[in-house]
Amino acid sequence: MRLNLKLKVKFKEFPGYLNDWVHTFRGALTVVLLILMFLLPFGNQSPYVLGIFITFMIYTIFAASWDFLAGIVGQVSFGHAMFLGVSGYVTAYLIKYMSLPWWISLLFGAIIAVIFGLIVGVPALRLKGPYLALGTLSMSLIMYQLFLMGSMAIWWEGLFGTQLFGAEGVSGIPRLSPDPMVEYLITFIIMCLSLFVLTHLAKSNLGTIFKAIRDDETGTSASGINTTKYKIIAFMISSFFAGVGGALFVMHFRGVNPGIYQPLYSFYAIIIAALGGLTTISGSALGAFVFIFINEILKFVKDIPLIEHSPIGPLMEPLFIFSIFLILVIRFAEHGLLQPALERFKEVYDIILGR
Amino acid sequence: MIEDILNFLILGSIQGSIYALLALGFSLVYGVGGILNQAHGAFYLITAYIFFWFYRNLAGIGLVVGIIVGLIAVTVIGGLVYILLVRPLKDSHVGVVIVTFAFAFFMEQVVKVVVDSLYHGMPYLIEGYFDFFGVNVYYHYILIVVSSLSILTFVILIINKSKVGKSIRAVAQDSEAAELMGINVDRILAYTLMISGFLAGVAAILYVPMDIVAPHIGWGILINSFSIVVLGGLGSLSGSILGAFIISYANAFTNFVLRMPEFSALIPVIVIVIMLIARPRGLLGKKEID
Repeated sequence: MRLNLKLKVKFKEFPGYLNDWVHTFRGALTVVLLILMFLLPFGNQSPYVLGIFITFMIYTIFAASWDFLAGIVGQVSFGHAMFLGVSGYVTAYLIKYMSLPWWISLLFGAIIAVIFGLIVGVPALRLKGPYLALGTLSMSLIMYQLFLMGSMAIWWEGLFGTQLFGAEGVSGIPRLSPDPMVEYLITFIIMCLSLFVLTHLAKSNLGTIFKAIRDDETGTSASGINTTKYKIIAFMISSFFAGVGGALFVMHFRGVNPGIYQPLYSFYAIIIAALGGLTTISGSALGAFVFIFINEILKFVKDIPLIEHSPIGPLMEPLFIFSIFLILVIRFAEHGLLQPALERFKEVYDIILGR
Repeated sequence: MIEDILNFLILGSIQGSIYALLALGFSLVYGVGGILNQAHGAFYLITAYIFFWFYRNLAGIGLVVGIIVGLIAVTVIGGLVYILLVRPLKDSHVGVVIVTFAFAFFMEQVVKVVVDSLYHGMPYLIEGYFDFFGVNVYYHYILIVVSSLSILTFVILIINKSKVGKSIRAVAQDSEAAELMGINVDRILAYTLMISGFLAGVAAILYVPMDIVAPHIGWGILINSFSIVVLGGLGSLSGSILGAFIISYANAFTNFVLRMPEFSALIPVIVIVIMLIARPRGLLGKKEID
């Protein structure tokens, strides 16, 4: 009822509301960046550039789902790759063996990820803080072992006649669309929707409860809120979006193997969210951009003959650089790299507008 | 059949004494400072690689030099991890977890860059074996059990009898009160991380010849230590030793009696899940996880 009223008020003031938002610094920046991203494929149609941007958007969704769980609800998961993997495997399986269209498979993948999140969440959420991190890390490593197992592969093949488990995984999945531009635009829309839903959830009444749990769990449960229930809801929301990311990921890279469960991808989510600043869900878009950008630059730097043969050549590994980055960011810059940079930028913006 | 059972008992005891070293350090760091050290597996990894590097590049005396340098290096690194990474973030549990996780990842990349990302083997420290009811018992096995049990006893004696140990127990009980009594809490916490690094280093040197040297070995060690500590009770030292032997015998049982080595990788998580549902404070733990 109240929500309805709120929506009505927002709707009535619709143009004005949007107008106000666009005139704030954040709003203006977001709108400009989104328009630029929307226009990109019309200007540059090289599959290489579009591919980089598609990867960037997929990582954004994945990191935003992690940031929602860690930054808003305060539940740090180190095994977020398992949601990516579960949904990725389901999507790949449905597309390859059931020949379902991609969007049904994507939805199914995300829903299975939610169910999986529920199954994992119930025992895992007995753990708090750091233990949850280690508990989820061990669960993702177990998923890795399980999907790598030769005997599981034989068993599954005997039962269903298809190849799912085992080191090869599922490969040969078609992309969303053979045209990179269409793929880009679809991924773009899904990313915008995911970020919109996640940021608005964080601002809603539900988000207030989540933030209360993050700040003081004992106090929240003393106020008569069932914290376990809400933590499980948060786990499910987060795994849904991680699942969407996983489905897109598998379709973009045209295959999936047990490597998707490695701590590596959980590490990616953490570093992207940390770069963009924790608790700022849309910050993960900037974080992912920086991450992908540095990754591509390092590929070029590594191939420069002068550097390739010098002693620092082998140090140009992206993961090596990023692990140092993550240590430095957590150690010295609690709010991430981009949040303070944006604030500087905002001061300049205010000066220009003469505020 | 009798050979299977003997294998199960012998290899279970060996793994148990190795995991007891690892879990004792992990539990000590948690119990005293409340630090959940994700870099525990990295300590094992560092020592294994230093040991391997000296063995490969210094013929003859490489093994001895590797053991000495490896143990000193891992102890120093343990102290440095506390001073440089953990202490500045001590107020935020999540910060500590992320920064040590990043450190573990960093070390994995370092060994990939400095050595390589292949699998390597190492020779036993003592060659030779004798026959025991049809089972080959290598002298190295006896070395593992004897040295790890004596080091365990030594560390437990230090904690229970010495003055430093008294300070460690005081900080574990109430770090604020300990600080008011004139104990340098930071130094004690650094000591616990150094002890835990040293124990992980000893475990690495003893166990690596039976296992492999590869960049990813740290994660398995971390997960096993965590599951042992959850089983035995977080922060309980005797619990972690008991848990280490239970998990190792379960492991050896699936390997040698049930003959399903693939499933032994699943034991840690099954233990974690069951313990979290049935008895969250562990077998010998005094208080609930919080």
